[in-house]
Amino acid sequence: MADTVLNITHLSKSFGDLEVLKDINVVIHKGEVISIIGPSGSGKSTFLRCINLLERPNHGVIVYNGDIVTDEGYDVRQLHKEIGMVFQRFNLFPHKTVLENIMLAPVKLKMGNKAEIEEEAMALLRKVGLESKKNEMPRNLSGGQQQRVAIARALAMNPKVLLFDEPTSALDPELVGEVLQVMQTLASEGMTMVVVTHEMGFAREVSDHLIFMEEGFIVEEGNPKEIFAHPKQERTRQFLSSVL
Amino acid sequence: MDIQWSFAIKVIPTILNGLKNTLIIAALGIMSGFIIGLIAGVAGSGKHGIAYKISTLYVGLIRGTPLMVQALYIYFAIPTMLHFELNSMTAGILAIGLNSGAYISEIVRGAILSIDIGQNEAGICLGLSRMQINTSIIFPQALKIMLPGLGNQFIISIKDTSLLTAIGVAEMTHQASRAVTTTFRTVETYTALALVYLVLCNGLSFLLKKMEERMK
Repeated sequence: MADTVLNITHLSKSFGDLEVLKDINVVIHKGEVISIIGPSGSGKSTFLRCINLLERPNHGVIVYNGDIVTDEGYDVRQLHKEIGMVFQRFNLFPHKTVLENIMLAPVKLKMGNKAEIEEEAMALLRKVGLESKKNEMPRNLSGGQQQRVAIARALAMNPKVLLFDEPTSALDPELVGEVLQVMQTLASEGMTMVVVTHEMGFAREVSDHLIFMEEGFIVEEGNPKEIFAHPKQERTRQFLSSVL
Repeated sequence: MDIQWSFAIKVIPTILNGLKNTLIIAALGIMSGFIIGLIAGVAGSGKHGIAYKISTLYVGLIRGTPLMVQALYIYFAIPTMLHFELNSMTAGILAIGLNSGAYISEIVRGAILSIDIGQNEAGICLGLSRMQINTSIIFPQALKIMLPGLGNQFIISIKDTSLLTAIGVAEMTHQASRAVTTTFRTVETYTALALVYLVLCNGLSFLLKKMEERMK
């Protein structure tokens, strides 16, 4: 496989006495799409939030493009500029229009002049099929549309990696497809993606690598199609039979 | 003594002699209170560090003592201890500023804490600095939530200026009391005084409501 983008070793995370992640080891390569599945409370989202240090792991090392980002002295903001995140509940800025949501960070971080940034934001809106909604407030959009704006907003930072935290879990069933469609396009364009998901179809068909987590451990990982067809671990088999 | 309602009208210009001072103290007091409240409220919403402790101590100190005592302390006690002189207007502005600041800080703190944590996380994940997240994402949303509380506090502060008569500030209540000592017309004078406050506060209340509607 191509270059290693993220190398995560011996990662653990506790909230008080509760150990949520236990000795997680994952390597993420450039252009790879990784899906993380597992029952709720298994630590999937916490793991994702540790990758971009939204949660500080208690132990372990994360190396991003050769930099040890878990070191005290590392400038975490640099990591945030390069690793984007899409949230379950979209987290759009409700006081800004769709276009302003996308332009806010690039403008504040002076990533170009305003005209260039706007042009790029419009291109991203076209990409997610929401050009006509540029002046709408987020509250006037459907959940699926809001999530597509959130994806465009993350893309506006030109991220090297995109993290998705259950991006379709808050959506009405009929709106899931439009978001998955956008994610699939990104995957086909070579974006490195880590996706915590309950969408088994996406996990099987789109991702290159599947991780099954339970109780803070990685129980099984490997080729998605193989795991779906022939899970090696009993727990994986049980989980898959309960959700499929 | 018979009540002459015409005197209530006659005494209004005397009362209005204090309007300028009432308005100056209220405006400057509330403005400084807003700045103090903003700083203390942001510090208080952090839950950590020395700034949080100072903010909590300040709010506790002000909320735990009456405004009149604070005014007396600022005007008489502190200058005596530190050997300097303070005029009553400055002391009044300080008292209103420090007093309203504590209440405003709680309004600010409550508004900031009511903003969904996801807004902050979205800002962090876009690589924005703490300052940029606060000024572009959190404060604009919090301000809308603060507005009714702030309006309420502004009106309270205007009425609170009447307590400053205790340190000799020539505001409206002071002017009215002086008129009473020479005319003994308590009913007419204090009725007129109450009406002036009523018009002032409800006028402001109306303006604030209009502003709130526009913000929506």
